[in-house]
Amino acid sequence: MSDPAIAVLVGLGFGVMLVRRRSHATLLVAMQALLLGLAALSLAGERPAGFLVAAAILLTRAAALPALLAFTRRRTPEPYLVAPATTVLARLLVAAVVALLAVASIPPLGFGDVAAEHGAVALLSLGIAIVVMRRPAILQVLGILVAENGIYLLAISVPGGLPFAIELGALFDLVLVVTVAAAFTRKIHAEVGTGDTDLLRGLRD
Amino acid sequence: MTDAAPVLIPAVLAVPLGAALLSVLMPSPRAVDRLNLASAALTAAIALVLAAIALVAAPDVAAKGSWYVLDTAAGVFLALIAVVGFASAAISPLHLRHAGRSWFTARRSHAWYYAAFNLFWAVLLALPLASNLALAWLLIEATTAASALLVAFSGRRSALEAGWKYVVLTTLGLAVALLGILVLYVAAGSAGSGLGRLDWLALVQRGEGLPAQATLVAFVLILVGLASKIGWAPVHNWLPDAHSEAPPPVSAMLSAALLPTVLLIAWRAKLSLEPALGTGAVRELFIGFGLASLLVAIPFLWRPLPWKRLLAYSSLEHMGILALGVGFGTPLAIAGVLVHLAGHGLAKALGFYTAIPLLRQDPSAGERAPRGIARASAPTATAMSVSLFSLCGLPPSPLFVSELMILLGGMDAGLIAISSIAAVLLALGFLGLAHALLEGLLGAGRGSRPRPSGAARAIGVLAGAVALALIALTVAAYALPGSEVVAALTGGGA
Repeated sequence: MSDPAIAVLVGLGFGVMLVRRRSHATLLVAMQALLLGLAALSLAGERPAGFLVAAAILLTRAAALPALLAFTRRRTPEPYLVAPATTVLARLLVAAVVALLAVASIPPLGFGDVAAEHGAVALLSLGIAIVVMRRPAILQVLGILVAENGIYLLAISVPGGLPFAIELGALFDLVLVVTVAAAFTRKIHAEVGTGDTDLLRGLRD
Repeated sequence: MTDAAPVLIPAVLAVPLGAALLSVLMPSPRAVDRLNLASAALTAAIALVLAAIALVAAPDVAAKGSWYVLDTAAGVFLALIAVVGFASAAISPLHLRHAGRSWFTARRSHAWYYAAFNLFWAVLLALPLASNLALAWLLIEATTAASALLVAFSGRRSALEAGWKYVVLTTLGLAVALLGILVLYVAAGSAGSGLGRLDWLALVQRGEGLPAQATLVAFVLILVGLASKIGWAPVHNWLPDAHSEAPPPVSAMLSAALLPTVLLIAWRAKLSLEPALGTGAVRELFIGFGLASLLVAIPFLWRPLPWKRLLAYSSLEHMGILALGVGFGTPLAIAGVLVHLAGHGLAKALGFYTAIPLLRQDPSAGERAPRGIARASAPTATAMSVSLFSLCGLPPSPLFVSELMILLGGMDAGLIAISSIAAVLLALGFLGLAHALLEGLLGAGRGSRPRPSGAARAIGVLAGAVALALIALTVAAYALPGSEVVAALTGGGA
């Protein structure tokens, strides 16, 4: 994947950290997955099986999962925008520091593509930061997807590609987890009246 | 007997998967209870036969296929998962009968509970059999989806919080582990083709040929990622909540079967990559997680916590002890780990099952520490005593023997200071749990003395059986050091 494309992927990850609306964040993650899927398709080249697997992953990550989250969002209308825990500037600063620290602290991973390695680590750390800093449940699921997109960026950078069993197995697991998380989102909304996970803080010692 | 393994291995997964499917189709809660009991008995029987095949063949591998390996480690863990799984399945009707509200409608709650339970159990049984790191990761991730719904089964706000935390934190942790697996896949280069590159055996055979730096980065990422699922401190935040909010039979599965089985994958990764990395860094990581878990857990064992929450922090402590044993890695320490796995599994499962009559007699025990149980219900008090005295390591508990073995194993490895620190922490943990138990049994009770329920009587009988099993385990522990089983687990067999 080209360096500018990786920069766009990371930029979209920052976008998920910053935007207020769940619909916008879902769109940004879908765009990330679309970019990654197109790159995987082009890398699959003339391997028909590889092309099919990449196409299945593209459809699932860029269309099916965002559609599931969009559906979940429609079924969990917020009476008002959930107030962010911090300002946009603070979130931007934290995201940048976390991503930079993560990239700086990870030694070369041996993929032979430094930009992809840095991009993957940045997206993984951004995903974790999004989960920690964003309050709405759907945004936390999107944080998981940003982290998973980072892993997928590295997966398509593996010289010779990954075995299909790993790619499809990981995709299956991701679908399972996002489906369960979407079910939780609806249940939390039904129980609490909002998807604001900040209100779920009863379990403390 | 070994010839039967290729048939029994698919069968041990197919039976619970089939039961999961049929559960949803059953017409009534009573019918689904019966189906579940029958399928659980069959699943456990097959798993125990497989475990026997593996242990008889020790230190050799009993059977190996394209995706599975039936070796000594798989045998030990299959036996553990079979026993805890069967007991949890058999005790589930006791919980469900009076469970009250749930995530699902009252009419369908039994069906969905057993569907998720059997899916979870099937994936858990497949995990020790996985011959490959990538496959093991896929299975661990799959356990999250199945078990998260069980954690939040009650549908209460607190259960939703616990289930949500569990899904989010363990998924992120496993993403970190997957990053490590990708790094290892690339580092392994020409060691085997495709998926076979990450076979446990292929990694051992590649040994010193693996690039040290990339392999170390991969191992650290894998271990840190798995730590979030094992519940090692400092990435344990989901553990106390999930264990305390899940239905008691599910809490038992999480604590006595899931956490140790994921630890097995970390252990297999250690054994596979040690030839490339040497003992030093690998050992230090395990010991670091072990000591951190003990340090975090012990203060909570001294606090008056609700029963299940106390057991959850005890799980954190015991996962720390197991990490120390695996980290020390000497034959004596590994013998201790095996005894500890079995003893902890039995005692902890009993502890969680005890919550069923305890919460029925005193619903406030879900919010605060139990008190005066000896006066309120003798069977419940007996079960609490057997569980907690075993868990705190009071002789003749097998956990006393196992902890001693692990500490002496650490000294054997020349790690006298670390073993001494661990001994002090274990002594503090013992005092904390013993204090909690005495308060729970003999403290001033709340309210009047209720009539012992059927659940209490059943738990009382189970406590007697578990007490006998624990004593038998203590006796067996003395024969374990120097055995073929331990030899297989300290070499490349695991």
